[in-house]
Amino acid sequence: MVPIEYYLLLSAAVFCIGVFGILTRKNALLFLMSVELLLNAANINLVAFSRFHGNLTGQTFSLFTLALAAAEVAIGIGIILVLYRNFADVDVTKATTMRW
Amino acid sequence: MAALPFELAPAIAALPFVSFLIALLVGAFAPRLLPKGGAIPGILATAGSLVLSVWAAVAVWNHPDGMYHDSITWVAGVGDAAFDLQFGILLDPLSTMMLVIVSLVAVLVHVFSLGYMNDEGETGLPRYYAGLGLFTASMLSFVFASNLLMAFMFFELVGLCSWLLIGFWFREPGPPSAAKKAFLVTRFGDYFFLVGVVGVFATFGTTAFVGSESFPILADQVLAGEGASVTTFLGLDPQAWFSVLGLLILGGVIGKSAQFPLHTWLPDAMEGPTPVSALIHAATMVAAGVYLVARIYGFYALLPQVMALIALVGGFTALFAATMGVVKREIKQVLAYSTISQYGYMMLGLGAGGYVAATFHLMTHAFFKALLFLGAGSVIIAMHHNENMWDMGGLKEKMPVTYYAFLSGSLALAGIVPFSGFWSKDEVLYEALVHGLESPILLAAYAMGLLAVFFTGFYTFRMVFLTFHGKPRTDTARDPHAVGWNVKVPLVVLGTLAAVAGLVNMVPVAEVTGIHLEFLHDWLDAGPEALTAHHYADLIPYASGEIGSPLLTVLLSAGVSLGLALSGAGAAWLLYDVPEPIRHTDRLGRVKTVLFNNYYQDEFQVWLANGVTLPLARVADKFDQGVIDGVVNGVSSVSLFSGGRIKRIQTGVVSNYAFLLTMGLVVLLVFIGVTGGWF
Amino acid sequence: MWIEALIAVTLASAAVVFLAPNKVAGKLAFVLSLLPVGGSLWMYSTYEASGNALLEGSTLAFETNYQWVVAGPYSLNWHVGLDGISMPLIALTTVLTSLALLASWTPIQERQSQFYGLMLFLEASLLGVFSALDFFVWFVFWEMVLVPMYVLIGVWGGPRRKYAAIKMFVYTNIASLALFIGFVALVFGLGDSVTTFDMPTVAQALRAGELGSLGPIGPETLKVAAFVAMFVGFAVKVPVVPFHTWLPDAHVEAPTPVSIMLAGVLLKMGTYALLRFNFTMLPDVAQANAQLIAIFAVVSVLYGAMLALAQTDLKRIVAYSSVSSMGYVILGLVAYTVYGMGGATFQMVAHGLISGLMFMAVGVIYNTTHTRMVSDMSGLASKMPFTVAVFVAGAFGYMGLPLMAGFAAELFIFLGSFGAFEGSVLFTAAAMFGIVIVAGYLLLAMQRTLFGPFELETDYEVGPAAFHDVAPLVVLILLVILLGVDPNIFFGMIQDAVNPIAAATGGGA
Repeated sequence: MVPIEYYLLLSAAVFCIGVFGILTRKNALLFLMSVELLLNAANINLVAFSRFHGNLTGQTFSLFTLALAAAEVAIGIGIILVLYRNFADVDVTKATTMRW
Repeated sequence: MAALPFELAPAIAALPFVSFLIALLVGAFAPRLLPKGGAIPGILATAGSLVLSVWAAVAVWNHPDGMYHDSITWVAGVGDAAFDLQFGILLDPLSTMMLVIVSLVAVLVHVFSLGYMNDEGETGLPRYYAGLGLFTASMLSFVFASNLLMAFMFFELVGLCSWLLIGFWFREPGPPSAAKKAFLVTRFGDYFFLVGVVGVFATFGTTAFVGSESFPILADQVLAGEGASVTTFLGLDPQAWFSVLGLLILGGVIGKSAQFPLHTWLPDAMEGPTPVSALIHAATMVAAGVYLVARIYGFYALLPQVMALIALVGGFTALFAATMGVVKREIKQVLAYSTISQYGYMMLGLGAGGYVAATFHLMTHAFFKALLFLGAGSVIIAMHHNENMWDMGGLKEKMPVTYYAFLSGSLALAGIVPFSGFWSKDEVLYEALVHGLESPILLAAYAMGLLAVFFTGFYTFRMVFLTFHGKPRTDTARDPHAVGWNVKVPLVVLGTLAAVAGLVNMVPVAEVTGIHLEFLHDWLDAGPEALTAHHYADLIPYASGEIGSPLLTVLLSAGVSLGLALSGAGAAWLLYDVPEPIRHTDRLGRVKTVLFNNYYQDEFQVWLANGVTLPLARVADKFDQGVIDGVVNGVSSVSLFSGGRIKRIQTGVVSNYAFLLTMGLVVLLVFIGVTGGWF
Repeated sequence: MWIEALIAVTLASAAVVFLAPNKVAGKLAFVLSLLPVGGSLWMYSTYEASGNALLEGSTLAFETNYQWVVAGPYSLNWHVGLDGISMPLIALTTVLTSLALLASWTPIQERQSQFYGLMLFLEASLLGVFSALDFFVWFVFWEMVLVPMYVLIGVWGGPRRKYAAIKMFVYTNIASLALFIGFVALVFGLGDSVTTFDMPTVAQALRAGELGSLGPIGPETLKVAAFVAMFVGFAVKVPVVPFHTWLPDAHVEAPTPVSIMLAGVLLKMGTYALLRFNFTMLPDVAQANAQLIAIFAVVSVLYGAMLALAQTDLKRIVAYSSVSSMGYVILGLVAYTVYGMGGATFQMVAHGLISGLMFMAVGVIYNTTHTRMVSDMSGLASKMPFTVAVFVAGAFGYMGLPLMAGFAAELFIFLGSFGAFEGSVLFTAAAMFGIVIVAGYLLLAMQRTLFGPFELETDYEVGPAAFHDVAPLVVLILLVILLGVDPNIFFGMIQDAVNPIAAATGGGA
């Protein structure tokens, strides 16, 4: 059996990639994808610990997360569409009209 | 159960108050229903007061105690050592005498007003008669007040009425300004009076004038070391503290009786209608101050320093005001300064220990000065409201009734025997002389008073000659407006009184002939023991001296003052009783300018108000807006500024927020790691 | 249950008026406001109580007390009741609100239903402040007052209304924070023996000397610190110099009826709270620092009066003179005598009526002339005689003319404070000089605006004011005279309520 550290490392790597994406990208679509990576990093952890502890709750939870991610994408795409309509662009740094 | 006139005593003041209410309410809502603009109710009410006052005076004379006293509790004190505040009526010889004077003058002034106001077609008459009614009610209440607090309250109310009536012609710029000055200057005096009232309460726990628990008696007992103990303040011993209280109350007296240095309002008050000047600013309200000193004479008599000060202020004011009266052009101005001067004599009399003398002068002055003002009012009607004496002349033939009445008043004012003013003024000066022989301060006050006699004679007859003698100097004077019965009747009544009122107390004659003629002495001795003239005579801190013999002193005093009065009048006769008088006072040069400008006293007080107080207020305002409000606004500016800087963290760029979030997490992890010992 | 009914009726009226159409809102609000007036007068006529609400041995009128919320060891009670101090203020609040509503008919011409609804809401909050006897309930009402006030100034005010409204709100709210901390620190300092915010319980425990330490702070320090915190908190409301600068701004910007409420009732919250909290609960601190507090009082009186002298806006004159008049209240409170504290309470009522009257009169003048600057007008007396007559009467009332309420109040205060503590003679004499300055600025302003030949810079047609503008003025002046002639209408019950405070602290006459 693959030791749990490997899953954790994988999860950490996916998480870091997601964070990197959020911090550096300006494109809202890439943002959304990075957020998906973050969620999936969490999923990997959930499944890995579930197996490690022999408890199925974690796996069930990852299913919830997947459903949540789907909903989130729907909303996210919706936001991006509105963003595009208002600013003719999907660059997140341009949408600053509501600051002070 | 009190006898009938005493039962009715509150009505003495209530009747004029009712006439005030009638004039006010009917005048406001149904002016057509008000006969003569409110004059009729006013005349009826004051006549009622007069009748009741006389009745009360007779009853006091016949009463075994010589007085009537009744009071109700206005506010009851609660707690330990608390005192009650009371309203009361005190009818004794002094107060009933004053009640008669006030109500008599009030009736006559109401009648005169028919001629001066109604017949001249003035508007706003209900307001005028309401003011007169309220004034009479307040003044009468002040007179029969049985304690200092009640006296103070009505003292202030007469001030209000004075304000209302001086400013009667409010559409012109002058009267409102004069009214303001009058109220403000007297208020300044009243401030000290109020402190005095509060101080008397705190010291004695009572302000009653009469009774074994009255404050003059308590003060007497304390100073004599007989039992009664009181609280004194500021670390002063009783004698010094009582003197402070006496001086504080004196502040109100000086303001109301227009004594130096608070006399400046009275000449300005002549902006009011002339009957008002007669009633308020000559015969009654101005007398309130002097009357107050007489009322609590048992207290003042214990305080030699205060007495000396009263005498000095009085003597100085008598002289000071008389010199200014010499150069005035307007008839009412001359009378105003003579009023100040005459009240100076009363103060001199009181300060010199002449309680009866001062009260006597108070009475005679009320008659002859009311007469002179009403006479002046008659002249002013005739002259179509021109008050300048240089535009008059020769009115003697045109208005004989006014002339002879006015002459009677002038002789009384100048102090020519046998008119009333001679007897009373002479008695004041006599008291000052006999006590002054043993006290240099009183002698100085006496000297000033004596010198003022000359000036009084001069300005009085300068006024008479300029107004009535010589040739008419203007067209108006050649063809004066006629005056009616309602003007003449008061003049005749007062003219008679001014001539004969002195007969009630002919001290010099009594001294010389040994006939008992000192009726006023008897009258003022008839009250309760602690309020009698002989009790005060025991209290006063002066010894009496004499020149040669008592008889010689009396004759000398009377002779000197009569001689001076005659020489003053004679000088005026020489200079002004000519067909075409010229302005002799111009020869005084710069002295005249100084006198004409009232020694720049008004300028000084205006400077105090406009040159010191107002700039100070503006500085305070600047300070308030700049510093105090500046700090408040500064605090808000600092918060706004720092908020404005800190808000820049909110860039609106999602990536920045994400970065901050991440960094925060990392820092938190590191912190937990370090403190938790992970590394 | 009468107090609850009073507050509930007022709140319900507020809701009804809020929903009513603009056209009828004014009349409806006035008619509905007569209910609390009638209620409070009925309460006055059946009033039976003795002693001070916070001290032992008192019986309160219309008291209710039941446990409301229990949080941990602490319980919050719904405790309301009236004693001789609060009864006059309740009556003042209801009467003045009704008259202020009447005075709103002319100046308020937009969003009437909201305006009148908020005014009634304000009244309900004020009634709560003066009747609550549990700190928590009291504090809720105290803060509730601010909300309608903020909106009333901020929406219906003059050109700088936002500045004034925010300044008032923030200033008084910070003050509320200070007093809240101060009082709660005291309750916690009392330790386990007091597990309630009930004001009588706290007051009696504090007076019994049960205050312990709070953390590292010893009882003596805690006492003084709490006193200072509460004093500052209430001083802003009164306002005491130097915490007064929000007041003139608020007055100048507020519409007339709001000024009436602000000067007439809101300022009294500060002095009422000072009396209830600082001076009843911590008498030893107050007496130990009597001179210092008296200095605040005297400075308020004289400095406020001097500021009024420098103003050229009629409303600012009256606003600053309020600062001056409220200084007398502080002087009376610190005297710890029946006359002093009773006079202070009486002055709250008297000044409420007189300053309400003055603001109302200035408002009536403003309605017709559209200016309040002294230099812009003269000779109004010939155009609007009734208004001017009442204005003059009110001004003389403000100057303390005898037989009017202001004189009685000031006299009681002076009688009470003269000789009450070390140096009080000089403090009293100095404060009394205020009566000269007040005469100075009011007479000056009246001479310039009301008398002389008629002139007006703003060129409006000036005629007599409407009946519903003058009627409340007349009612107020009659009340002022009534109270001045017979102060016992209120003064008897006031004396009864302050006597325990004065007696227990050894104050003399």
